[in-house]
Amino acid sequence: MLYYVFTLVFFLFDYFILAMGLNIQYGATGILNFAYIGFVAVGAYMTGVAGMPSNITGQHYILGLGLPFPLNTLFGGLSAMAMAVIVALITLRRLRTDYLAIVLISLSLVLYDFCNNFVPLFNGADGLYNVPAPLTKALGLNVNSFIVVFACVTGVVALILWFVMARVTNAPLGRSLRAIRDDSTVAGALGKDVFRMQLKSMLIGSFYAGIGGGLLIQFGGSFNPTAWLPGETFVVFAVLIVGGAGNNIGMFVGALLVETLLIHLPAFLPEIPGHPGLIEYIDSALVGIVLMVMLWTRPQGIVPERVRRAVTFGVPDRPEIDARELGSAEVLGAPVAAATEGAK
Amino acid sequence: MSAANATAGSPPLTVDALRCEGLTKAFQGVHAVNGAAFEVPEGKITALIGPNGAGKTTVVNILSGAMSSDSGRVFLGDTEITNWPAYKIARQGLLRTFQLSRELGGLTVLENLLAAPAVQAGDSLVNVLFRPGLVRRQERENAERALELLEVYRLYRHRDTRARELSGGQKKLLEIARAVMASPKLLLLDEPMAGVNPALIEVIGEYILDLKRSGVTVMMIEHNLGIVEKICDHVVVLAEGRTLATGSMSELRSNTAVVSAYLGEVINAGAAH
Ligand SMILES: Nc1ncnc2c1ncn2[C@@H]1O[C@H](COP(=O)(O)OP(=O)(O)OP(=O)(O)O)[C@@H](O)[C@H]1O
Ligand SMILES: [Mg+2]
Repeated sequence: MLYYVFTLVFFLFDYFILAMGLNIQYGATGILNFAYIGFVAVGAYMTGVAGMPSNITGQHYILGLGLPFPLNTLFGGLSAMAMAVIVALITLRRLRTDYLAIVLISLSLVLYDFCNNFVPLFNGADGLYNVPAPLTKALGLNVNSFIVVFACVTGVVALILWFVMARVTNAPLGRSLRAIRDDSTVAGALGKDVFRMQLKSMLIGSFYAGIGGGLLIQFGGSFNPTAWLPGETFVVFAVLIVGGAGNNIGMFVGALLVETLLIHLPAFLPEIPGHPGLIEYIDSALVGIVLMVMLWTRPQGIVPERVRRAVTFGVPDRPEIDARELGSAEVLGAPVAAATEGAK
Repeated sequence: MSAANATAGSPPLTVDALRCEGLTKAFQGVHAVNGAAFEVPEGKITALIGPNGAGKTTVVNILSGAMSSDSGRVFLGDTEITNWPAYKIARQGLLRTFQLSRELGGLTVLENLLAAPAVQAGDSLVNVLFRPGLVRRQERENAERALELLEVYRLYRHRDTRARELSGGQKKLLEIARAVMASPKLLLLDEPMAGVNPALIEVIGEYILDLKRSGVTVMMIEHNLGIVEKICDHVVVLAEGRTLATGSMSELRSNTAVVSAYLGEVINAGAAH
């Protein structure tokens, strides 16, 4: 029972991290990163090969550095960032949002095929297994207590990353990203280096993807191509859209509802007699349905993007001006013709 | 330079804030801009006029870096800025507004202004993470100035409203206020008064004169020649992508027959509005 609960806790916090990373890219900056799960996979694999020793027989992989936790995970996060630089240089400079999305999907398919078929990299279709479980030796953990401890460690990591992300999204940096999302031409006309800003957003988001992936491979002890089918990107998008694009707390709510309750909880339900695997099919369908219903009825998500009020900038309100401005009603209140092509 | 002028006894030379020569731009064979060349004198209000489709907006797009030109050169003061990216031009102090208001819709009215200063400590990740005090202090200073501007531009009451919820006239004001927040040396306004009611036209005219008084050079695209006459010092006439004439309104009136015939057409168009 404890095992079940803490498995759910792990996935809750891990997807909270993943969703925050996608949120800064898509929710804040408007980059439709349909290759997101590719960055998660790079983080997972690189964490794996950074942590594993170089001499495990029966598996083929690069590096094998034997780094301890959390250095291996950090290495995974940085590797995902390195991939973001490459991807951004290929795609961001030249492409508009819609084309960018298509190119990113293609890139993630290429990466997938490559990892699946090129065995020397990450052991091909078999993937990595027997990945060392961190902290077990040091704390003398067994299989079950490891789950409890690692779920808590993931929770702490998630809270730290949330603190950092909240600071970034509330800062002028976050505002510049949202300006680019709303109208990149205007942002450019105001002196924002749009490419540089988008690159920053990609890098920060990819770091979160990489860390989330790194925690994933260590929790399960293995990672292979079935864990990151390109469709998995849309699960993270579902978390983001249900929770509320542009809101970090929303990412937690989304992770709780979509990842924990819809995807993982049903796996613990007893099988329906005579229909093995049916529950699994039902819950993927359920994610799709929930996504559609949300987009129709509440596209801003359960916890919509926050309005950052003037008082939060430390300048006191001056209600007397509010009152004085009513005098301008005859200027501003009158119906205004749509500002169209001028003299026509 | 000024010493040479003084000895020659000639009137002080007007300095050009902006100069462009031989600009061309074609869209799939349509020559939207076809050799436009003119100067924008510093500290003055210049009108860019011409019939619909003359290429006025395209010229502003080229000058501000939103589009690259096919040929021609642009100088901002002594600096050649031909085909620089928009953000670099903005950082040189050239700001522009858009003919169709382009508010940052998901940001509040206040945030639209706060996004305007090009270089902010809080745009750097290092500062955000390790120098939060510096970032917060700069934010408060910017917010104070932004709120003062919003008071002037009659948008204070709407400071916490998402910009996409404003009326058309309010969006026009926001468009100008946001550019002003960026502390421009040269401001290019693309039809700042188009589609707004007469009372607001007066108000916007006053804002533009105020900007001139505070030392900002302004170039504005405007169809209404009454307004041009009233507030602009210098006029550039653009037709079919070429500069047809430049000068003060009265100079243009007494210009050659061809020009006056052309201007007549423009005046009629202006009077029809
Ligand atoms: N992005 C574009 N793609 C194709 N053609 C364009 C584009 N922008 C402008 N044009 C064309 O270039 C010509 C000049 O357009 P421009 O918008 O510069 O004129 P304007 O003088 O600003 O007119 P208006 O007074 O109507 O605003 C027009 O024929 C227009 O259709
Ligand atoms: Mg125009």
